[in-house]
Amino acid sequence: MVRHIARRLLLAIPTLLAVFTIIFIIVRIAPGDPAVAALGDYASADAVAALREKMGLNVPLWQQYFNFLGDLLRGNLGNSMISQKPVIEQIAFVLPYTLELTFAAIVFGLVVGIPIGVITAVKRNSPVDYIGRVVSLLGLSFPAFYLAIILMFFFAVRLGWFPAVGSAPFSEPGRNLRYLVLPAITLGLIETAYIARMTRSVMISILSDDYVRTARAKGLQERIVLIGHALRAALIPIVSLVGIFAISLIGSSVLVEEVFARPGLGKLMVGATKQKDYTTLQSIMVVYALIIVLINLVTDIVYTFVDPRVRYE
Amino acid sequence: MATRRRVVGAMLASAVVAPTIGLRGLETAAAQDAAGPVLRFGVNAADLATLDPHYASGTQDRTVVDMVFNGLVRYQPGDSSVIEPDIATEIPEPELVDGKQVWTFTLRDDVMFQAGPDTEAYLLTADDVVYSLQKSADPDRSAYAGDYKGMTVAKVDDQTVTITLDIPVSPTLFLPKVANYAGGFIVSSKAVEAMGDDVIKTHPVGTGPFMFESYTPQNSVVLTANPDYFRGAPKLGGVEVRYMPDASSRELGLQSGDLDAAAGVTEAQWVDRINSEGNLTADVFGVGEVAFFNYNVNVPPFDNPLVREALNYAISRDEHLALYGEPVAENVFSVVPEAFMPGGLTREEAEAEGVAYDYDPEKAAALLEEAGVSDLTIDLITSEMPAYRSNYEVLQAELADVGITVNLNVVDHATMHEQIRQDVNPIVLYVAFRPNADVYLTNFFFSESAVVDGASPITNFSHYGAIDDLILQARSETDAEKQDELWKQANIQVLKDAVTMPLHYQNQVYARRPQVDYGHELVSSLALYPQITELTTITE
Repeated sequence: MVRHIARRLLLAIPTLLAVFTIIFIIVRIAPGDPAVAALGDYASADAVAALREKMGLNVPLWQQYFNFLGDLLRGNLGNSMISQKPVIEQIAFVLPYTLELTFAAIVFGLVVGIPIGVITAVKRNSPVDYIGRVVSLLGLSFPAFYLAIILMFFFAVRLGWFPAVGSAPFSEPGRNLRYLVLPAITLGLIETAYIARMTRSVMISILSDDYVRTARAKGLQERIVLIGHALRAALIPIVSLVGIFAISLIGSSVLVEEVFARPGLGKLMVGATKQKDYTTLQSIMVVYALIIVLINLVTDIVYTFVDPRVRYE
Repeated sequence: MATRRRVVGAMLASAVVAPTIGLRGLETAAAQDAAGPVLRFGVNAADLATLDPHYASGTQDRTVVDMVFNGLVRYQPGDSSVIEPDIATEIPEPELVDGKQVWTFTLRDDVMFQAGPDTEAYLLTADDVVYSLQKSADPDRSAYAGDYKGMTVAKVDDQTVTITLDIPVSPTLFLPKVANYAGGFIVSSKAVEAMGDDVIKTHPVGTGPFMFESYTPQNSVVLTANPDYFRGAPKLGGVEVRYMPDASSRELGLQSGDLDAAAGVTEAQWVDRINSEGNLTADVFGVGEVAFFNYNVNVPPFDNPLVREALNYAISRDEHLALYGEPVAENVFSVVPEAFMPGGLTREEAEAEGVAYDYDPEKAAALLEEAGVSDLTIDLITSEMPAYRSNYEVLQAELADVGITVNLNVVDHATMHEQIRQDVNPIVLYVAFRPNADVYLTNFFFSESAVVDGASPITNFSHYGAIDDLILQARSETDAEKQDELWKQANIQVLKDAVTMPLHYQNQVYARRPQVDYGHELVSSLALYPQITELTTITE
C-alpha cells in the first residue's frame, strides 16, 4: 500500500510539471495587462509603464517561467501583483472555506442521496420511484445560481433562518455553520441528484444478484439484506463517483462562493482573473492541481476499505 | 450499531438545526459596536485593487479612501458641485508672483493622523502635505502624476504651505488637484515612510472619519470610527465594506438584513421595483459617467468626415438611453456633461450649432453613399460589462440598418482596456467621468494623449488633434466665463469634425435600508458612492 502511494506520488510529478507549464502559458497568453487592470482607465501610459516594471512584467518570459518553477520548488507562491501580499497567505485563508463547503456538500449529498437511491431502487416503478427520479432529474438540471437565489430568498429573506450572504470565521463555529448551511445545500443538492441516480441503478442491478437472493433465502431481515449486503457492494462505484464529484464540486464552488459572497478559492480565482493578477492566478491553479491529484489518491485508498478485494501491490 | 447510528444522526441533526434556533438577529448584534452600529456596505467588485489613494481608481477603492483620507479642500459630501475647506482653514485666493501663480494654504491645527501599523497617531503638519503632493506628482508612486506637472509645493511653516504653478489656471482647474479626489488625498508621511508604498495598498493611514482595521482578501475591508476626527467622532462605530460582485446577492443581502446599503443596478426598472417594494430605498445621484463613441480618424474609411458624420446620424441616442431608462441615465450633447460641470453643451446649444446629430438613418445612408462606402464590415471588441456590451450591441443593430456589418468579440473588461489602447477598435465606446472639462478634452481629444503614438498617451482613441490650441487657451484662462466659452467652442469643434458621438451619462444607483441616513442630501458624488461620513447614522 505504501509502495503504491509512493508510486502514485512519483507518477504525479510529470503530470504536475506539465500542468504547471500549461498554467504558466495560459495565464500569459490571455490578452490584458495587469498594470492597466491595477491602475484603471485614468492612468497615463507613463504610470502604466512604471508599474509594469515594478511588477516584473518586463523580465523575459523564460526567466519568469524558471523563477516560477524555482519558487514552487521552494514552496514559495510569490506575492500578489495587485496587493503585494504573499499569495500563500491568501490561499491559506480561503482554502479552508472552500474545503469546508465542498466537504459539507458531499456529506449532504451522501446523507440525502443514498437513502433516496436505495428507496427508489427498492420501490422500483412505484409512485415513490417516479417522484424520486423526477426530483433527481430536477436536481441535475437546476442551475446552481438559480437554486442559490431561491434558497436565499426563502430561508434568509422570508424565514430569516440563515444569513443570505457572507461568512463567519472558524473561531466562531456556531456562526460559521449558519453561514455554511445554504451554500452547502446549494452545492449538495446537485450532488444528491447524481448520487441518488447512481445508487438507484447500482442497487437495482445488485438486488437481482445471486448472493442477495441467497441472503433473502437464508431468512435474513430485508433491512440487513439491503444495507449489509446490497448497499455495501453498491458503495464501490458510489465512492469513485464521490471522488469525481468532489473534483467537480470544487469547480462548482466558484459560482456558489460568488453568489453567497463567501471567501474561497473560486472567488479568489475570479478576482485574480479580472485583475490579471498572474501570480495569484497561477498559484491558485497549482493548488487546484494538487487537490485533484490528492483526491484521486484518497479515492484509490478508500477503495481498499470499501472493497477488500482491491489490493494495491 | 443501531445506537451508534442514532448518535451520529442526532449529531448531524443538531449540527444543522441547533444553530438556527434562537439565533436570528445574531448577525445584527455582531454588527453592533460599543461606539455605535457598524454599517455593512456591499460594493460591486470581487476585491479591492489598491487603497493607496494616489492609485485608487475603481469605485470600490474610491469608496474606502474617501472615508479614510482628506484633502486640503473637499467636495461637499453628497454635492460635488460645491468645494469647501477640508484640512485647510479656508480656500485661498491665488497671487501672481513673477508670472507664476501662488496658492497659500493655512492648515487646521487639530488634524490628527490615525495610527499606522508602525506609527503612532500624530498631528498633521505642512511636511505631510508637501510629502503627499510630491508623491502624487511622482509617476513611480502615483497614477495621477500627469495632473501635477508644473506644480511646486513648499512648506512655509508647520501650518502653512504654498503651491506654485508655472502656468496660472482658474480655480475650476486648480482646486480639484488639492481636493479629496485622486492625487489630492493627503497621506501620512511617517506611516508611508515606515511601512513602504506597497503596504499602504492594503493598509491606508489617513486623517478621515474612519480608520483601517482589517482587510480580508476577496471578502471585506473593516473600518472603525476615528474618535479623533477633526470634525467630531463618527456616529457609526465603523463600516464594513464587503466585496460582492453579484447584484442579486447584494439585493438579497439587503432584503435579509445582512447588508445596510449596497451598490444597485443601473436600470430605471430596478430602481422603481426597489422603491415600490417598500422595505428598501433606491438612491439615484450623480456624478454621471458619460458614454460616447470615438472614431479613429487614421483608419479608413473613418478618415473620411462624411463616414463619421454618417455613423453619428445612424446612432439613436434614445435607443442607447433605453438600455437604462431615465432618471438613471440622461442624454448628453457633448462629451463634457453639461449637467455636472462648466464647458458642456445643452441640447439647444448643440442644435444651434448643427451638431446635435438627431437620429436620421436616411441621411446616414445618403452620406455613406456620397462617401462611396458600401459593404463595410467592422470587427470590434467589447468588455463583458453591460455598460459596454449592451451599447455595442445596440450599435451593431443600428449600423446594420445602414448596411454596415459589425462583428463583436467579447473580452473581459481589463483586456478591453488594454486592447483599445493598442488601437484594436476603429470605433471605441468609452464610459467615464472626469473631474472637469479640461481633463475630458485633454484625455480624449488632445494630440499628445493619442494612444499608441501620442507623446503622452492617455485615451485619445480618435487620434484627433484639431482643438489643441483651444484646450491650452482654456487651461490658462483664469476668467471662469471665458474659460467656459472656450471649452464649449472646443466641444463644438469636436462634434463638427464628427470624431465622437456623445450618448448619455449614467448616474450612480445604490440601495439602502430606510434606517440608514447618510447625513447629507444625495445630489452628486465624485467618489461614485453615497459617501459615508461622521454624520451617517443607522437608527434601529
